[in-house]
Amino acid sequence: MKNLRSLSVAIVLAVLGLVYAQPVEVVWWDFLGGGDGVRMKALIDEFNATHDDIQINGTTLEWGVPYYTKVQTSVAVGESPDIMTYHLSRFPSAVPQGLLRPFSEEELAGVGLSLGDYFEGEIEKATVDGQVYGIPLDIHAIVLYYNKEILGSVGLLDENGLPAGFDGLDNFNAAMQKIKDEAGVIPLSIEHGSGTAWRIFYSLLGQQGASFIEGNEVVAGEAGVTALQTMTDWVSEGLASDFVDYNASKALFASGEAAMHINGVWEVPTWVDFAAAGELFEWGAIEIPTLFAQPATWADSHAFVIPNSEARPVEGEKLQAVLEVISWMNKNSLFWATAGHIPGYAPVVASDEYQAMEPNATYASLANNVLFDPDSPVAGVASPTYDAAGNLLVPALSGQLPVERAIQMMKQELESQLR
Amino acid sequence: MKPKSRRRNLRMWRDAFLLVTPFTLLYLIFFIFPTFRMVQLSFTNAPLVGSGEFNGLANYQRLINDWVFWKSLKNTGYFVLLTVVPNTAFGLMFALMVVRLKRIQSMVLAAFFLPFMLPVSVVTLTWQWLLDTQFGISQYVLRLFNEGKSIAVFNDPNWAMPVVAFVTIWWKVGFNMLLFIAGLQAISKEYYEAASLDGANNLQIFRHITWPLLWPITALVLTLQLIAQLKIFDQVYLLTGGGPFNSTIVVLQLMYREAFQNNRGGYASAIALVLFIVIMVASIIQYRVLRTGAAR
Repeated sequence: MKNLRSLSVAIVLAVLGLVYAQPVEVVWWDFLGGGDGVRMKALIDEFNATHDDIQINGTTLEWGVPYYTKVQTSVAVGESPDIMTYHLSRFPSAVPQGLLRPFSEEELAGVGLSLGDYFEGEIEKATVDGQVYGIPLDIHAIVLYYNKEILGSVGLLDENGLPAGFDGLDNFNAAMQKIKDEAGVIPLSIEHGSGTAWRIFYSLLGQQGASFIEGNEVVAGEAGVTALQTMTDWVSEGLASDFVDYNASKALFASGEAAMHINGVWEVPTWVDFAAAGELFEWGAIEIPTLFAQPATWADSHAFVIPNSEARPVEGEKLQAVLEVISWMNKNSLFWATAGHIPGYAPVVASDEYQAMEPNATYASLANNVLFDPDSPVAGVASPTYDAAGNLLVPALSGQLPVERAIQMMKQELESQLR
Repeated sequence: MKPKSRRRNLRMWRDAFLLVTPFTLLYLIFFIFPTFRMVQLSFTNAPLVGSGEFNGLANYQRLINDWVFWKSLKNTGYFVLLTVVPNTAFGLMFALMVVRLKRIQSMVLAAFFLPFMLPVSVVTLTWQWLLDTQFGISQYVLRLFNEGKSIAVFNDPNWAMPVVAFVTIWWKVGFNMLLFIAGLQAISKEYYEAASLDGANNLQIFRHITWPLLWPITALVLTLQLIAQLKIFDQVYLLTGGGPFNSTIVVLQLMYREAFQNNRGGYASAIALVLFIVIMVASIIQYRVLRTGAAR
C-alpha cells in the first residue's frame, strides 16, 4: 500500500514536471509573403531555437483585405492568434472596433522595452486616446531606385555615385528628359496600380504641406490636383512608363529598360538577390527627391499587436511570452532591416552595423520626413482610400479621366463612406 | 377505409417524413434562418460580426441616397444585357452546329464544354494573361483596331464591362449548349422528315419546327441565365475590382465592400435584400413573359 502511494506521488510529480517543461505556444499571424517573409521565417526559427520555454507557431496569411477581414471575424469568435503583425495605418479603423489590446508601460518595462526607444512619429501613430496599441517593428517607405550605369552615362551622378540635382520639380523633370533624350530609355518606371499611385500621390501632397483627410472631409483640393497632374504629365510626356502592372514595373527597371523606379523599400531584397546572382547592374536607392516646398515621403509601419478577444484573452503566462517575443524581435531587427525596412527600434538604427548597411543607410534620412497615412477609418493599407486610388487615380494616370474630375470623384466617394 | 390500408397509409407518411426531415432541417438552418436574419439585420446598425441596434429604415434611406448603389445597379443591368441573351444565343448556335456532326461530335462537344468545368479563378487568370497589355496574345488582334497600340481592356471604362461579359460567356456557354443539345435530341425526327418531304428549306424548318418545339428549353435557359447573371460578383472582383472609376462595380461587390471592408453588416444586409427582391421580381416577370411567348 505504501509502495502504491509513493508510486502515485511519483507519477503526479512526473506529470507536473512534464506540464511544467511544456513550452508556452505563441500563435502568430502575419501577412509577410514576399522577400521579407523569408527573413521573418528565419527570425522565428532563430527565436524558437534559442528559447526552450516559448515556441512561436507562425502562419502567413494573404496580405490586404482578406487578412484584415479574417482578423475581425477571428477576434469576434475567439479564434484569434496571440500576436499578429498589423499596419499602423490601419489603427484608426481597428482601435474603435475594439480589435486591439492596449499595452501598458509596465508590461513593456518588464521585458526591457520603453516607448522612448521608438521614433516619435510611429508611437504617435500607435497611440489612440492616450493608449499604445502596437509596438512598431519597422518603418517602410517608398524610395527612388536608380540604375547607376544609365544615370552615370548621362552625367547625372555626383562623385559619390548619388543622383545630383533632383530636387525641385523642374530640375527633376529636366533630368528625366535628359535620360529620355540621351540614354533612350524610359526614365521612370512606376506601377499603375492602387498602391504605388496612392503612395506617390500622397508623398507629393505632403511635399506641398497639404493633408488629404481632415475629420469627415477630403481636403486634397488644389494640392491634390497639382500632385496628380505632376504624375499624369510624367506619363503623357513619356517620362514615366505607360500602363504597367506591379511586376512589369519591376521588370522594366531590372531589365534596364527604365532608368529609375519608385517602389517600396521591401523590394530591396529583390535587387540584392539579382545582383548577387550577377544579373543586375550597379544600383542604388535614395529618399524621394523634394519636388515641392518640403521633403515628405509616404510611410507605414509593421507593428506587433495583441488581439483583444473577450472569448480568448491573452493574459498571464501567455502574455509574458508574447511580450518576450516582441522584445526579442525588436532587439534583433537588424536582420529584418536586410528586407529594406528601417527598424522601428531606435537603438538598432543607431548601431554601427545598421549605419554601415547599404542601401538602407543612404535613404535612412527619410525617417525624419515620413508621412503616415491619414488618421481616418477609411485610410490605411487595403482601405477604401487604396481602392479609390486604384479606381480613380490610375485611370487619370492613363489619361482616361481628367485630373480635376478624378480628385473630385475621390472626394465624393470617400466622403460618402465617411458619413 | 380498412384498418389495414390505414396502417399502410400511416407508414407511408412516416417514411415520407423520415426521408424529408434531414433536408428540411438543413434547409431551415442554412437557408431560411440566414435569410430571416438578413432581413432582421438590414434594420440595424450591426457591424460585420455580431448584432447591432435597431435603427429603423436608416439603412434604406442611406441606400436611396448612395450614388454608388445606383451606379452598381445600373452596371449590373448592363452586364445582364451583355450576357443573358448572347449567352443563350451562342449556346443555341453551338448546339445546332454540334448536333450535325457525326464522328468528331464528342470531341467538339468536349472542347466547348471544358471551360465550364474550370473554376472562376483559373478562368480569370487565363484571360488576364491572354489580355495582358505587354505579353497578352490577344493584344495582337486588339492592336489591329487601335493604331498598333495595346488596349488595357480592364482599365478602360468602355472596354472593361464588355470584356468581363465576354469572359463570362466563354466560360458558361458550354452548359447552355448542353441543355440545348438535350432539347434538340428530344424533338422527334418525324417532324423533320415530314417537313423535308414537303420541301421546306433549313430556315423554314428552324423557324417552324425547331424554334417552337425548343421553346421550353430556351425559356429555361433564359431564366437560369438571368438569375445567375444578376448575381455577378466573382469575375468582376477578380478582373477589374469594380474599376476603372466604378465603371464595373456591381451590386454584390458593393455589398462585399460594405460588409467586409467597411464593417457595416446592417447596411450590407439591406443591399442584399434589395438584390434579392430585384432577382425575385425579374424572374417572375421573365417567367410570365416567356410563358406568353410559348402560348403563341
